[in-house]
Amino acid sequence: MSTFEQPPITRIRRARVRNRESFVAALPWIGPVLILIFGVVVFPAAYMIYNSTRRISQAGTNIEGVGFANFSRVLADPNLPRILLNTVVWVTVVVTLTVILSLALASFLNKPFPGRTLVRMAVVVPWAASVVMTTTVFYYGLDRDYGIMNTFLVDIGILDSPYGFTKNVTAALGAAIVVGIFVSIPFTTYTLLAGLQAVPADILEAAKMDGAGRVRTYFLVILPQLRSALAVAVLINVINVFNNLPILRIMTGSIPGYDADTLMTYIFKVLQFDRRLDLASALSVLNFAIVIVIVAAYVKIVKPMKED
Amino acid sequence: MKSTTRTTMMAMAAIGTLAVSSCGFGGDTSAGSEGDTTIDMLVPSYSDDTRALWEGVIEDFEAANEGVTVDLQIESWENLESVLQTKIQAGEAPEIYNGGAFSAFASEGLLYPAEDVASADTLDDFQESFAVNESFEGTQYALPLLASARALFYNQDLFDAAGVEAPPTTWEEMHDAAEKITATGTPGYGMPLGSEEAQGEALIWFAGNGGGFGDESTITVDTPENLEAAEFMKQMITDGLTQPDPGATQRTPMLNVFLQGRIGMVYALPQTVGQIEEANPDLNYGIANVPTNTGEPATLGVADRLMAFRNDESKQEAITSFMDFFFADDQYVDWVQTEGFLPTTKSGAEAMASDETLQPFLEMLPAAEFYPTSNPAWNATDGAFKSLMGLLETQDPASVLEQIQARADAAS
Amino acid sequence: MAIAAPPEVPASAPSTSRARKYGADGVTRKWMVTRVVVGILIIVVFLVPYLIMLVGSLKTRSEILAVPPRYLPQDGLQVGNYLTMWSTPETPLPYNFISTVIIAVFATLLVLLVATPAAYYTARFSFPGKWAFLFLVIVTQMLQPAVLTAGLFRQMLVLDLNDTWLAMILINAAFNLSFALWIMHSFFAGIPKEVDEAAQLDGASRLSVLFRINLPLVWPGIVTAIIFTFVASWNEFAASLVIMSTAENQPLSVALTKFIGQYATSWQYVFGLSIVAIVPVIILFALIEKRLIGGLTAGSVK
Repeated sequence: MSTFEQPPITRIRRARVRNRESFVAALPWIGPVLILIFGVVVFPAAYMIYNSTRRISQAGTNIEGVGFANFSRVLADPNLPRILLNTVVWVTVVVTLTVILSLALASFLNKPFPGRTLVRMAVVVPWAASVVMTTTVFYYGLDRDYGIMNTFLVDIGILDSPYGFTKNVTAALGAAIVVGIFVSIPFTTYTLLAGLQAVPADILEAAKMDGAGRVRTYFLVILPQLRSALAVAVLINVINVFNNLPILRIMTGSIPGYDADTLMTYIFKVLQFDRRLDLASALSVLNFAIVIVIVAAYVKIVKPMKED
Repeated sequence: MKSTTRTTMMAMAAIGTLAVSSCGFGGDTSAGSEGDTTIDMLVPSYSDDTRALWEGVIEDFEAANEGVTVDLQIESWENLESVLQTKIQAGEAPEIYNGGAFSAFASEGLLYPAEDVASADTLDDFQESFAVNESFEGTQYALPLLASARALFYNQDLFDAAGVEAPPTTWEEMHDAAEKITATGTPGYGMPLGSEEAQGEALIWFAGNGGGFGDESTITVDTPENLEAAEFMKQMITDGLTQPDPGATQRTPMLNVFLQGRIGMVYALPQTVGQIEEANPDLNYGIANVPTNTGEPATLGVADRLMAFRNDESKQEAITSFMDFFFADDQYVDWVQTEGFLPTTKSGAEAMASDETLQPFLEMLPAAEFYPTSNPAWNATDGAFKSLMGLLETQDPASVLEQIQARADAAS
Repeated sequence: MAIAAPPEVPASAPSTSRARKYGADGVTRKWMVTRVVVGILIIVVFLVPYLIMLVGSLKTRSEILAVPPRYLPQDGLQVGNYLTMWSTPETPLPYNFISTVIIAVFATLLVLLVATPAAYYTARFSFPGKWAFLFLVIVTQMLQPAVLTAGLFRQMLVLDLNDTWLAMILINAAFNLSFALWIMHSFFAGIPKEVDEAAQLDGASRLSVLFRINLPLVWPGIVTAIIFTFVASWNEFAASLVIMSTAENQPLSVALTKFIGQYATSWQYVFGLSIVAIVPVIILFALIEKRLIGGLTAGSVK
């Protein structure tokens, strides 16, 4: 038992982790990253924060500083609680289901069978396609009048008559979640698949010799080895799903009012329909702050970068 | 350190490679010799012809005006305004812009008055009724480019099958006709209250009751006339006379359904005629005036315009020659005719008077109610309609109008 | 440790296959058939939307919007859509295609060039500010592009880079850097440090340790990072929309919107172009997917 719970590699590694270097020594390695980030990202981010404290006309002219007035206005918005709730549901459901399905899919794609390469290629397609177009096809396919998916559901008897999936809040959010999972699976699966392939064969061999069953091997040996890949995949998914605009904008876009909105689509509406760059910036800063807190908490608790 | 030098060298090599790709096609930045003027032009895409049309105009213009280059940028309507807003914010507004609302720009002094960028001859040629809508605080700022009006399109076959004898002229008749058609199993009336054009559908109905969206100085959405109209719209919805989910229905896909004979009546526009010809020439349809509460003619009129942003005084002359060049008969008529709009100039109207497709729409123009594009709060009102009007399906009409009015007031 | 063996060395023999067992992991025939069936189902599920796209691109515009819809084209396959789309009046598509390729390729290269050393270093060594650095990197990914465009446009204006490929290469690289770095970091971290130490004892420089010894071991991670960056750059929209104003310079994602007119959309081209846009990514994937397998063998070498 202890042979595979405490593989020799881990033991050695834990014993000697003393590669402390100075920041200056690190610079040649991390410097280019810093240059690119400071050169490209910092200004627009700072500009967004600056804009959130200004009053900006609909035309786009920066009129005057208003301190935190935009923030108090945004926070007092009666639509905000519903929007935050939608956001939480959206992120949690999409990420959770994506990870579960991807774990299953990655394990499956890691097994040998004829035509595996083809299946792997098929799984990568939603990743290769633009999210906007994938979502558009779903939107089109689910249309009550033109939709082929709708017709198909009627033809196989699941629906009596075509249903307006994108026309009411619950159905549209549900459809958006399905699309969200659909486009998140490829990346997640591949990260996990790559992680699975890095699982040393000798550990699996050891588990086998110890007579561990499939389930036991999976949870006690494979899953812990996937920890690092899984942690990063979840992190990236949380951020991506949180910040995803196209899926919700298209799937829930024809629904009036704000009942189907998440923070992202709401920011978009404030920008596109109300033409308030200042309020949209304040909402974005808020959004940014929320993601930072979530990610910081995640990094703190999960320690996706833990090496030892 | 050895590794450091190698990293540096790699970085240098990378920068070198990137330098090669630092350009792009077009390379406008370095174009032209001293004394040349470049005009940036930002326009929306009306149809598949838009790009070719403008490129043709520009080519002819550049040939006739040595030393002036026009850089054309075409964006879809959906993206047009966000691109413009970004450019304005960075102080890089295009010299010439084709859009809907102009007063928000005019009120901030961003635009040239029309008389500074077009000759008196050009300005005199605009029909009075249009020119008047281009003024803000007594000064004309924009040049009306095109107009359009809405009419009732009805499916004759469905009318016959349902026993509707003539196109309705009043709301009551419309309700009646829609009821008869719906009874045959096809939606009687198509009401698109989705974000695409909720403001258009709303104004058609409001205008039909003597209402509107207000004028240059006040936005008036929550009025008794408009409320009565909204209540009637709601009545149509609750009586089940419209297509399903009117609140979440976009106009373009809905018109396509009408095109295929699956809706009794819709409000549509001149371009719809061409689309029917292309997609379903067999459709047996008719065009009639918009039914109103009392039968008095009224409809929605839409006008788009060209405006000139004031960036660099040295470009004023070039802008003027472009405007004069474009609005001259042959260029303008060709443009407006190909795009399928109604002309805004007197000479254009004369030249196109014999156009049979446009005839019913031209007739409706005098009774048309336009968006209050001269009111700086119009942009926000427009946005409020797009995101809130569809709530009519589920909410009380009074509360919907109240919410929209509140948005408009907040922007005034 | 023998893990340091170069990847060219062929994988050790697969586990012994016994009689009447199938596949490298020796399962029964019934299981193998089940796997193939499940595999086919997965293919169907993942390809359905793109089949709808493909079939749509072979229909006429009015067929696509037919009510009720037909599954297959009735007026013959409009293969010509794929030819005519390159010379439509709406957008100069061949140029859009080239611009997209250039932007995506260089952005991906730049990301690899910049992120790989940093990912390796942060996975191997600790230094003051390492956590701050890694967090800073991930923070860049949390920004929402839709609102950042105002600042990006302004910045590129100052740098005189608006409407150039370089601007979009830099933007795409900078905003996709973090995921690439984090993905590669997690893979480098999975390689035992003894590998490096042994090599360094032999006098190899850190860079050559990285390139000769570590890179071959983390191919799966690099491939994931490449695809991630390439796909993201390939499909980037928000920034391109405001930065690229000349029609020829605009990437495919922006060109696509040109088919959406005020009153009608050329769906056959929208779908056709979307199919075409997928192809290069699939080719890229097919080319490097082998490396993913390569990673497998490298990792399992004893």
